[in-house]
Amino acid sequence: MFFHIVLERNMQLHPRYFGRNLRDNLVSKLMKDVEGTCSGRHGFVVAVTGIENIGKGLIRDGTGFVTFPVKYQCVVFRPFKGEILEAVVTMVNKMGFFAEAGPVQIFVSNHLIPDDMEFQSGDIPNYTTSDGSVKIQKDSEVRLKIIGTRVDATEIFCIGTIKDDFLGVINDPTTV
Amino acid sequence: MTDHYNKLVKLAARAFYDDLPAKSENQPKTGRSDNRGIAVVILDALTRRQWVREEDLAKDLKLHTKQLRRTLRFFEEEKIIAREYRRETAKGAKIYSAAVAATADGQTTKEGEEKVKLHTHSYCCLDYAQIYDVVRYRLHRMKHKLKDELENKNTIQEYICPDCGKRYNALDALRLISFEDEDFHCENCNGKLEIESDKLAAQEGGDGDDNARRRRREKLKDMLQKMEIQLKPLVDQLSRVKDLPVPEFGTLQSWEALASAAGRAANGDNAGDSRNSHLGYNGAPMPYSGDTKVVVDFNGTEGKGEGIKSETDGKPVKVLPPWMIRSGMVLTEEQRGEVKQETKMDGTSTSSTAQYTEDKKSKVEHDNNTNIQDEYIKAYYAALLKQQHELAEAAKKEELSNSQTADDPSSSISIRQVGMKTKREEDDDGTEWEDAPIGGNGNGNGSYKAVDLNVEADEAAADDDDEDIDWEEG
Repeated sequence: MFFHIVLERNMQLHPRYFGRNLRDNLVSKLMKDVEGTCSGRHGFVVAVTGIENIGKGLIRDGTGFVTFPVKYQCVVFRPFKGEILEAVVTMVNKMGFFAEAGPVQIFVSNHLIPDDMEFQSGDIPNYTTSDGSVKIQKDSEVRLKIIGTRVDATEIFCIGTIKDDFLGVINDPTTV
Repeated sequence: MTDHYNKLVKLAARAFYDDLPAKSENQPKTGRSDNRGIAVVILDALTRRQWVREEDLAKDLKLHTKQLRRTLRFFEEEKIIAREYRRETAKGAKIYSAAVAATADGQTTKEGEEKVKLHTHSYCCLDYAQIYDVVRYRLHRMKHKLKDELENKNTIQEYICPDCGKRYNALDALRLISFEDEDFHCENCNGKLEIESDKLAAQEGGDGDDNARRRRREKLKDMLQKMEIQLKPLVDQLSRVKDLPVPEFGTLQSWEALASAAGRAANGDNAGDSRNSHLGYNGAPMPYSGDTKVVVDFNGTEGKGEGIKSETDGKPVKVLPPWMIRSGMVLTEEQRGEVKQETKMDGTSTSSTAQYTEDKKSKVEHDNNTNIQDEYIKAYYAALLKQQHELAEAAKKEELSNSQTADDPSSSISIRQVGMKTKREEDDDGTEWEDAPIGGNGNGNGSYKAVDLNVEADEAAADDDDEDIDWEEG
């Protein structure tokens, strides 16, 4: 799920950026630092959308670096248990398959794949129904439900299932 | 047929609402506060009624209104009944009372009328269509839940290293994939991981955790089986009801309009009949504006079982045509012809009656017809009598004893084309036919009937082909 929230961060700025563009430099450095990172608490930071407030800088003894407390608005993405996501399959093996929904990695183990889909090894490993009408392979798009998340300080990993109503392949790369 | 739906409601009530917890658990259970089983009683009572004022229902069931209301509120939340509230004066209550009087249930609600002084009254009615869905959904969810647990559908797969015995689960998957091959490898010894199945766990056995899990499985399986056995009647009833049209009573207002209109119509002639039959969508009285034309539409929609439409269409028909026809008959030849056809139709209708009775189409519509048609039939029979007399007289005059019987059919045939519309009416007459004898009241119906039977005998044989043709045209 996506959230638009306000976060705070202490930015250290090198003295060479001081000057007229100090603020701009600060913001661009913030974006570079923050976007794409993941915190277990808030999820993945997708984009910084605005600066709420920049506090007074504090010069660090000895180095000349200045620390600014910056409050910024950003869009974060955090997967939840029970959430339905659309994801792109990245890898298929006999244990199941891996998929990505944006920055999130999801693993679907083979007992959470419908029973009528069988693993086919070979050049392009895939899961196929007995009549061959549905095929899950690399780059397939699937709709899945998250049934478990593992949240570390800097990492979120999910396991999903496609063994439920309306889940499964939504776009087959071979037919496009 | 509402019977099947009523049975469904009763079964569902016993299956799901039998053990509604008595709400007051801290209080000692006096006779009044003990609610157990009340739900079933109330639902059963509702199957015998249509819209009912809750006070009246409480009185009938000898329940306290508060107690009743609490249960009804619960049912409303369960989407089993529809409720309506309105502030009304004595007059408004009378509308309802009139409607009730017109229904077949034969409940007496005299007490209700006097006390009303702009109070808020609530009414309730079973919502059959919704009940069907609710019950099905409930069953689906029950089964789904048990099956999910049974199949460990949403559990997290575990992996085990056969070499060092280390366990992993699917959440570790990302760390476990090796890039050499596509299997999962142990972080410690780099051995290939195996999926830990239930069998393996059972073999290892021993620890209470596994045993507990197995016992749980057994229990679930047991439960699922028991559920299937015990709910079998309910499921059967559901499938029986599947293709039947749902009895609908509309909103309270529309129901009242229909009911009272039907009641009025019924009072016009054989009141007894309409009382016995279920009361349904009947047009509210309207100024006489329509013609027989309208009748055609009305019947057409009816055939398709769209009771609601008939509500408006039926109105003008009800009172008007019989009188007109009667006056016309005596005078013109054409009218006579029509009448003949109609009587003939009565003959044929006996066959169609069978369909109708079988027909699952709600009685509701059926009653529509009866009211309108009762009127018709009266007029027809009266006219028929006259006509017969005339014919008899004419026959005597002409003294053609042989051709006498032939005359009747021939005359009717010649005028046949006119009859397209009237013919339709006749079908419906068939349904009336049933009712009249049942009612037993038939004000002088007996004599008409006798006449009619004769006519049937005369004409039925001769006119069969013609009828067929007409049917197609219709």
